[in-house]
Amino acid sequence: MLEFAEKSCTIIIDTSKCDSCETKACADACQKYARGLLGIDDQGRASVAHRSNEEVLRLGTECLACEFACKFRGNDAIRIEVPVSGLDEYLKKRSLA
Amino acid sequence: MARFLEYQGKAWLAKAGMPVPKGRSASTPEEAKEAAEWIGGPVAVKGQVQAGGRGKAGIVKLVNTPDEAAQVAAEILAKTVKGLPVRQVLVEEKLNIKKEFYCSFVVNGAREARSPMLMFSTEGGMDIESVPEEKIFKVNVDPIFGLQIYDAVDLAAKAGIPDKDISKFANFLTKLSQTYQKYDCQTLEINPFIMTDKGDLVCADCKMEIDNSAVGRHPEFDIKIARDLPGEPTELDYIGWSIEETDARGTGFLMNMGYDEVSPGYIGYHPIGGGSAMMGLDALNQVGLKPANYADTSGNPVASKIYRVAKSVLTQPNIDGYLLGGFMMANQEQWHHAHAIVKVLREVLPTQKPGLPCVLLLCGNREDESLEILRTGLADLMTPEGPGRRIEIYGKEHVTDTKFIGERLLYLSKEYRAEKEALGK
Repeated sequence: MLEFAEKSCTIIIDTSKCDSCETKACADACQKYARGLLGIDDQGRASVAHRSNEEVLRLGTECLACEFACKFRGNDAIRIEVPVSGLDEYLKKRSLA
Repeated sequence: MARFLEYQGKAWLAKAGMPVPKGRSASTPEEAKEAAEWIGGPVAVKGQVQAGGRGKAGIVKLVNTPDEAAQVAAEILAKTVKGLPVRQVLVEEKLNIKKEFYCSFVVNGAREARSPMLMFSTEGGMDIESVPEEKIFKVNVDPIFGLQIYDAVDLAAKAGIPDKDISKFANFLTKLSQTYQKYDCQTLEINPFIMTDKGDLVCADCKMEIDNSAVGRHPEFDIKIARDLPGEPTELDYIGWSIEETDARGTGFLMNMGYDEVSPGYIGYHPIGGGSAMMGLDALNQVGLKPANYADTSGNPVASKIYRVAKSVLTQPNIDGYLLGGFMMANQEQWHHAHAIVKVLREVLPTQKPGLPCVLLLCGNREDESLEILRTGLADLMTPEGPGRRIEIYGKEHVTDTKFIGERLLYLSKEYRAEKEALGK
């Protein structure tokens, strides 16, 4: 598993699914919709190992594109958590959580 | 602007050394009585709401005893003025008024000024709009150095203040200018400030509004939301503020519009930009639908910010639909909206709101690719029995077609409501 934080969200990638992925669409999407933060390592897995922590924060634009690309053109390995402050409490109070 | 109630503004005036009447706020008749006892003598009991015309609304009363203060406080605290409940009263000493004056510091945005401006009149105590123009004296104020004493003297003389009182007025106005600057006010209006029978100048009222952009410099104000809100912030307002508070990557605005969370005919409203928002309201108004909230995701926000706004809009209880109203050919790359909306709808519709009408109008830069993202990302939800069965996606062919968009939303929302009622929900 690969997990890293951008400014306000967390990206979690089940990199074991990358092995059978033929498109590597996540990295293409990152290049097209953002700043090319995400790369593919020597084993063919999604990676940010070639980036420093500072670069991860600077280059990550929270575009959500890798999650979409992986889901519809890859192996559905990426989950992005985007917390909304106060929303869970709002929904719980209304029995909607 | 972050606005203070009168009693709050007066407290900050007092801390800045401005003369204000002796008084304190009360939330109950008992507290009002105690305040009147502490003050001693006749008092004024003034309802505290963010609305003008309080006297005409009957929430400002003069009384002679603490028992009377408690009685009128009970009456005032039971009232609602312009839709705003009165939750507090200010109990303060009754002033012996010799004459009332008006002054305010505002921002003069005119090209030749672009600075604070002082307006002063000897006709205080009434709406400034009803005072003849020739009786309002104005001077632009240096934004760095504030009102200079000689400008204040000049202004007071022009207004006809007697020579013996000119320095008193000039000192009052320059000190108020310093207060305006110190607190980063957008507006500081004292109407009236009065001269007592002893010749003292006192701030009898106070309307203080802080520049939203300066709120971060003033933690002492404890302002929770630096926004123009019609009343007290709701939970949705707090959620909306949390999206924007520390994230300046484009606009991700969200605020409540008075939705009671129960009534039918309300739509989760997600326009993109101010002009687009007006057209979206036209779309809703034409078919008798209403916005549950206001939102805006323009200025090229990041997708995570759009996601937060969309999710908050969509999860409002009992809405009859969701409108992504991109009634404009936006310059921003719309694919960030597309990615965010796909993510939100995939999360919300299957589990929380299956069948909710969602009319998505997305036009402008990268439109074709953006619409394709929406279609691809939502295709498996948009089957006849799927949770996205009432999703409709439109582009530039309907960019100004408010009637069409409104009618589609109305048709779908009626269908949705009938389906819910049939299921006993």
